[in-house]
Amino acid sequence: MTPEEEERELEALLELSRRGRARLDRLHEVLTSPGHYGTGATPSAVVYRENKLRLLRLLDGHGQPRSGPPVLFVPAPVSRYFIIDLLPGRSFAGHVAAAGFDVFVIDFGTPTSEDRYADLAYYVDGLIRRSVRVVSQLTGQPAINVIGYCLGGTLSLLYAALYPETVARLVLLTTMVDGDVEGGIAWVAHRMGLAGESYDTPRLVPAGEVKSWFEMLAPGSNSLIGRVTDLWERLDDPAARLRDVRTMATWVDDVVPAPGRLLAELYQKFGPGRNGLMTGRVQIGDTMVELAAVQMPVLSVSAEKDLIAPPEGVDAITKIVPHAEVLRLPGGHVGIVAGRTAASLWQRTVEFLATSRGGAHGT
Amino acid sequence: MTLTADGKTAAKDSTLVERWLEDQREWQRTAMAYLDSMVKNEDFLVHLGNAMRGSLLAGKPYPAAPPAGQPAVQEAPVDNRVDQVLFALHQIQGQLTDLRMAFDELRNRGKASSSAMPATRPKAKATKRTRTKRPTTGAARKAKPRPGRTRRG
Repeated sequence: MTPEEEERELEALLELSRRGRARLDRLHEVLTSPGHYGTGATPSAVVYRENKLRLLRLLDGHGQPRSGPPVLFVPAPVSRYFIIDLLPGRSFAGHVAAAGFDVFVIDFGTPTSEDRYADLAYYVDGLIRRSVRVVSQLTGQPAINVIGYCLGGTLSLLYAALYPETVARLVLLTTMVDGDVEGGIAWVAHRMGLAGESYDTPRLVPAGEVKSWFEMLAPGSNSLIGRVTDLWERLDDPAARLRDVRTMATWVDDVVPAPGRLLAELYQKFGPGRNGLMTGRVQIGDTMVELAAVQMPVLSVSAEKDLIAPPEGVDAITKIVPHAEVLRLPGGHVGIVAGRTAASLWQRTVEFLATSRGGAHGT
Repeated sequence: MTLTADGKTAAKDSTLVERWLEDQREWQRTAMAYLDSMVKNEDFLVHLGNAMRGSLLAGKPYPAAPPAGQPAVQEAPVDNRVDQVLFALHQIQGQLTDLRMAFDELRNRGKASSSAMPATRPKAKATKRTRTKRPTTGAARKAKPRPGRTRRG
């Protein structure tokens, strides 16, 4: 090797060292700077608390609630609520609020040991019903708009069937209704042992176990080497962009423990081979719910590349709620709600809710 | 001209050895920044641990998954009865909230109907009218058959 070649090689090593150090400096900056990590992006006030649940009411720039028609967001209780209020400029709830609606968001919180006994009736006829009631009392509106996301959509659909007179319009986002459509989180959980969950002697299903079901949906995402390599490559991005990535990562990776009784009941009633929602009748506690009671306008949105709730299983809503408007958007389960192309869903939702103003179901 | 991590420029004619020494000093600064954060910020270690697992999760450790092919180890509850009592208390709390909200609704309807009465109408009658209204407590709502749901048994 000539001296020039040696020098070129050393220069290359020096450059490699510089780049590695720059990435570590950027990582340090991101890990030590504040951001919207699990707190929601829009100012809000807690207007109701029960057990771990918090009901948030979004506030305007002056710290005041808006006076428009009320909208209640119901996220999935097995993940964190802030996916619908992720970042300034990337907030579904914030967009709906900016369109003039009085927006409320349920944060189911993180279940603890005693919450393993929580079942469908506790969520639907308890937490959601009382949240709707609080919204009605605060706004003076007997019927409000409800937007349910994922499993939160399932709970919202059941609530709307139980108390149809209190729901003006219903939006279901990536809400699986046909459990026999293969694929998605229900099937993974089925294969990973959800059938073994006991209703009578439930456990609090650890967050790591729930997370492993989601990881099984995306091959490679559960590979440590793959994840570390991906993060290392990302560290070339600007710190501001990395902070946004961190907010999303905080949602994706912060799965909460799940009440075993709820999972057992969901599996036994709606899971593969059971498929109770498609029969149009579901037992909730001691009440038989008829889905035919869902007569308010319904918008059901599916995502073309949804690995968690396959679009065919979502669009099947028209078999049990024939008047439901079905919309299939390009993107994935999370992308259509909080990704870079989510604005199309937000706008369509606002249009759907706005058409109810002054109508028979108007709020 | 070489641009260093902190934006300073090194002279084009600095020798390779000088730049290597400068690079070492920069590495020391980076290491000190990490050490400083580890000492001053308890959360930093959690966040760094998450990053070493490829996650930028903030605020808590990355959820540990059970080993492949093995069911998750079930943490044995201290006492099932304690949890059952605690959860029953949560349910009772919810039912009490129902009652309070029903009471508030009745009171507000009473006020509304009172204010809607003609001025000449005696107040006592308005109160009586309110009392005859259908009860709307959670229990009463459940007892009455409603569209969309039927009771079993």
